Amino acid sequence: MEKGEIREVIYASMRTINEQKDRGDRLELKEDTCLFGRESKLDSLGLVNLIVDIEQRLTDGFGVEISLTDERAMSPENSPFMNVKSLTDYISSLV
Amino acid sequence: MAPKDFKCLLVADFTIDGFAGYLKNDEDFPTVESIVAPFDQVVQVLMDGDLECWKSKPDFAVVWTRPESIIRSFNQVLDYEAVPMAQILKEVDEYASLLAMMSGRVKSVLVPTWVSPPYHRGLGMLDLKTGIGVASTLMRMNLRLAENFDESSNIYLLDTQRWVSVAGKHAFNPKLWYMGKVAFGSDVFKEGVRDVKSALSGIVGGSKKLIILDLDDTLWGGVVGDVGWEGIRLGGHDHLGEAYVDFQRALKSLTKRGILLGIVSKNEEAVAIEAITSHPEMVLRLDDFAGWRINWQDKALNIVDLVSELNLGLQSVVFIDDNPVERARVREALSEVFVPEWPEDKMLYRSTLLGLRVFDTPSISEEDAGRTKMYVLERQRSDLKKTVGSLDEWLRSLDTKIQVEELNKANLQRAAQLLNKTNQMNLTTRRMTELEMADWARQDNHKLWTFRVSDNFGDSGLTGIISLEFEGKVGRIVDFVLSCRVMGRKVEETMLYTAIKGAKSQHLDRIYANYIPTFRNKPCLDFWKTSGFSYNGTDSCFSWELCDEYALPDCIKIEGEKEA
Repeated sequence: MEKGEIREVIYASMRTINEQKDRGDRLELKEDTCLFGRESKLDSLGLVNLIVDIEQRLTDGFGVEISLTDERAMSPENSPFMNVKSLTDYISSLV
Repeated sequence: MAPKDFKCLLVADFTIDGFAGYLKNDEDFPTVESIVAPFDQVVQVLMDGDLECWKSKPDFAVVWTRPESIIRSFNQVLDYEAVPMAQILKEVDEYASLLAMMSGRVKSVLVPTWVSPPYHRGLGMLDLKTGIGVASTLMRMNLRLAENFDESSNIYLLDTQRWVSVAGKHAFNPKLWYMGKVAFGSDVFKEGVRDVKSALSGIVGGSKKLIILDLDDTLWGGVVGDVGWEGIRLGGHDHLGEAYVDFQRALKSLTKRGILLGIVSKNEEAVAIEAITSHPEMVLRLDDFAGWRINWQDKALNIVDLVSELNLGLQSVVFIDDNPVERARVREALSEVFVPEWPEDKMLYRSTLLGLRVFDTPSISEEDAGRTKMYVLERQRSDLKKTVGSLDEWLRSLDTKIQVEELNKANLQRAAQLLNKTNQMNLTTRRMTELEMADWARQDNHKLWTFRVSDNFGDSGLTGIISLEFEGKVGRIVDFVLSCRVMGRKVEETMLYTAIKGAKSQHLDRIYANYIPTFRNKPCLDFWKTSGFSYNGTDSCFSWELCDEYALPDCIKIEGEKEA
């Protein structure tokens, strides 16, 4: 899977999450948008929803079965969810 | 941010924030502000109206629970233990009592039914065995819950299983549950929000009342003007012909729910009418249509004309046409009309129609089932009008009889339906649920009368409401509501006559009415200006001194009242 394709999957999931959020709290579809931590507009529940949505899209669209919820990914240190770019790189390393 | 139309409290035993987000961001009418009750505090929220989440006085509530959480014995069923059904149903009844108790705090309560995830196969091939199966027990529980609210006028069960089916394999995801206590996938929430919005729209009178249809390639295949009625594709041993017949059947079934059908088609009228009356496989005949405009004029103009003839508002209309250009034209010219995207594949017509979410109503009355017939009768009245001389002569020839009743248990449902659906002849456009209406009418200084109208052509049913509130020697007409079906037939004056008579019996000196304008109720103002009540011309207030007589129109007979 190309990184561009992975990024589009992440953006599609971000759009789904945005449908639940107030206008001012919506995630910008940009590579440096924070997904995790104090700078992020996603709370922990939003992050769970995003992760599950991305996993489903990867399975449905590309037949890729990965888990983004293992201990390493969910660790606050060096979390791949820091931003869209780091998550893209992380997924790319798994597929 | 624009204020929302209503507030809705979401009570759940799982994380419902995603549902709340979709609900508040849906911009279709009615817009809703979501209030999420504390997580997993269902019983406390239902029992205690003083909790913080009730402070903002929500208009509606959605109470969504998981069966294993709210019905304790169901857990034993999930563990394959034998539990007496009576015990399970007793717990269901107890839960229903809590919902009923809470329902007094809001206009209406929506309760999604209980489901279990499809990966839970229960007892497999034995799962539908009465008394032991998980699926069997769950069905009984849902039915019992529904039966508890058969007589309720403000608690409605919504079919969660349909949402789960639409969402497919992502309806449930154990990860969502373990990591966020989210019981359903986002597609279930989205589908649920659509049904909740549709229900709320129906409850507040926003459901559609009229489907206007094109003919060629919509009701039948082919262009009747080219091939004649013998050559159109309809029925027979033909997959498309069958699809058109099924589509017509689905349309006809909607008329039994009170939805009217109309035709707006570019055709020669005589040719099209001949097809409708002569083709042996037409399901819809002329008497199934409340009216039609079949000519070569612009469809948008024809729709306006037809809707006006039927005394409806454009916001009540669904327009169905196979031609995307005509759809775009109507959408652009008449933004209030709902024009659904329509599939090119004729075999999808029926399913597309049945999937439309614009016809929900909180009740279906006998009047609904006979509504088309009433419009057909109205057409016959109009035909008679053309043959008799003056308006008064025509009105007298109708021999109109009116039955006046105070609000009671038997007429409450229809009266509430009329109050909440009527837009044009509506003085104040006050909306109330059946419970609110009954409570209001019960008060000592309130009076509410209903009017059932019939004439030589048939019974138009309960079509009018007038209500009076009085203090000291002065009364105020609070509601003045009349169905468009009987407008202009002196029922309006009869309603005022009744209110004045009622006011006199309360020894009042004066009654008045304040007209509250909306986008749709100008016909009401027009009537009041000619009603005989005094009007200062500026502040929309009309009044009547009760020392003066208000005559009953001579073309009207009130049943049970002696003639003067």
